[in-house]
Amino acid sequence: MFDEKDVILEAKHITRKFPAAGGRTLTACENVNLKFYRGKTLGLVGESGCGKSTFMRLLVSLDQPTEGEILFHGKDITKLKGEELRRNHQYIQMVFQDPSESFNPKMKIRDIICEPLLNFKRIKANEKDTAARRLLEMVDLPGDFADRYPHNMSGGQRQRVAIARAIALEPELVIMDEATCALDVSVQKTIIELVVGLQKKKNISIGFIAHDLGLIQSFAHQIAVMYLGTIVEVLPGEEISSRAMHPYTQALLGAVFDLHMDFSKKIEVIEGEVPSPLEIPPGCPFQRRCGRCMEICKKERPVLRNVTEDHQVACHLYQNGSGRQTACTGSG
Amino acid sequence: MAMLELKDVTISYKGIPAVRDIHMKLDEGGICGIVGESGSGKTTVIRAILGLLPGGGRVTKGDILFDGESLPGKSKEEWRKLRGSEISMIFQDSGAMMNPTRKIGSCFVEYIRTHEKISKKEAWDKGVMMLERMRLPSGDNIMKSYPFQLSGGMRQRVGIAMAMTYQPKLLLADEPTSALDVTTQAQIIRQFMELRDEYGTAIMIVTHNLGVAAYMSDYIMVMRHGIVEDEGSVDYILNKSRDAYTKELLDAVPSLGGVRYV
Repeated sequence: MFDEKDVILEAKHITRKFPAAGGRTLTACENVNLKFYRGKTLGLVGESGCGKSTFMRLLVSLDQPTEGEILFHGKDITKLKGEELRRNHQYIQMVFQDPSESFNPKMKIRDIICEPLLNFKRIKANEKDTAARRLLEMVDLPGDFADRYPHNMSGGQRQRVAIARAIALEPELVIMDEATCALDVSVQKTIIELVVGLQKKKNISIGFIAHDLGLIQSFAHQIAVMYLGTIVEVLPGEEISSRAMHPYTQALLGAVFDLHMDFSKKIEVIEGEVPSPLEIPPGCPFQRRCGRCMEICKKERPVLRNVTEDHQVACHLYQNGSGRQTACTGSG
Repeated sequence: MAMLELKDVTISYKGIPAVRDIHMKLDEGGICGIVGESGSGKTTVIRAILGLLPGGGRVTKGDILFDGESLPGKSKEEWRKLRGSEISMIFQDSGAMMNPTRKIGSCFVEYIRTHEKISKKEAWDKGVMMLERMRLPSGDNIMKSYPFQLSGGMRQRVGIAMAMTYQPKLLLADEPTSALDVTTQAQIIRQFMELRDEYGTAIMIVTHNLGVAAYMSDYIMVMRHGIVEDEGSVDYILNKSRDAYTKELLDAVPSLGGVRYV
């Protein structure tokens, strides 16, 4: 399903640390390796504070990793500076969580969605009207909305404008940071349909952050589950409910309130909260909340390894297979 | 007699009706879910019950009865006796209802001491006990923290602990889990169910997540544009309702192994 030729962006050993008070360091991402394929959606799932937004911000060059490299068509984009960095922005765009806070309230919609086009001199100032109209129609909004201000629109409409702005430059990769979580379920559905439609039409790759597995499995080709800064499982989107192996993924699945669930069953959910990223325990990051924690989990950090070709999991439960596998767990 | 009864209630803001002709009954230990999109009037209904309508909002028609007594006409003094002890409310973000410059303990002790005449020490211990009952580890530490030092899920639990201190007969919850992670949401929902089973608290929950509403409620009201579009038991809403809007809402809920767009 995934062809190596189609890799457009590859994150290699990405680590991002922030200095914290008292000389400590906060590790937001640790050794993250992910690949984005052309025209495919990668869903990144995890609880708040697990580092998923930090990771995605690195891809959009809003921040620089402490270690590791991000290869966009084979070229490391973390070292870019000045004009080169600015030019790179047109290939990777972002849609933020809260559309009302990502727009300048004093700009009209026309100016908002044409700003990237003007910045990169794709259109002339007198072509703004036609460009705005074309983009608004692409996201199923009436062209007259160009004259409105962001506060004259509903949340769903604003999010459509944010999408229009992100795809104005025809980027290859669009990052969506919980783009639907501030919206009603019915609006959420229409936005997802719009995004999927645009993806098919323009062959865009999408990186979508979410914490709702029910939502993400409906349109992601690939799902990566993140916990405390590390990727614990990567698997194809359609297999999330049938083949999830990591205890954390299973816990996330158990927390989904589904209309087809058995309403008499007790909710089984992992206790407690994500530990502070300031004090990441040695060994498996999930050990304190895992119901199947073993001795080895407290000492050694499990490494992400292949279960099948497109399914990777980082858990000691699945690592005592062949001798070759156990041999290389030593580094942690 | 039902514990809570809304009789053809119409609520208006500055004379313009926002919610019309709401009719419902809730018995002891019952859970009623109100679902609908933003702006459908769900919050208005639940705020009206506790007399907390924002500026200019008033019940203009009908009556709200709690244990047979009419609520909208209550005086300030009567409300003080009712709120917190008989009827409590949990907001979307409990952190926002607390004073950011005061520690949790200081607010909690004040809250307890307005309801009963006990010493600060006793009130503190009672607060700690309530926090620990809500599965918050080391209640003492939490009492000594500021709201911003706690995570969203912890703050929400503090809110529930406060609301449940006097074991109210009716708990009103306004989108209590919308701002939380799915895992924390599941923990909080489980806690609500335990409250009902332990204390027989009746719960009225406003949510836009139909999955949550269906799991918790005995009875569901679907609201749209200020009126009740559809209502009935969970089984009716999920399986038997012919209402087009209800179906639309049900279709929009993402489910595992459900629709895939790709």
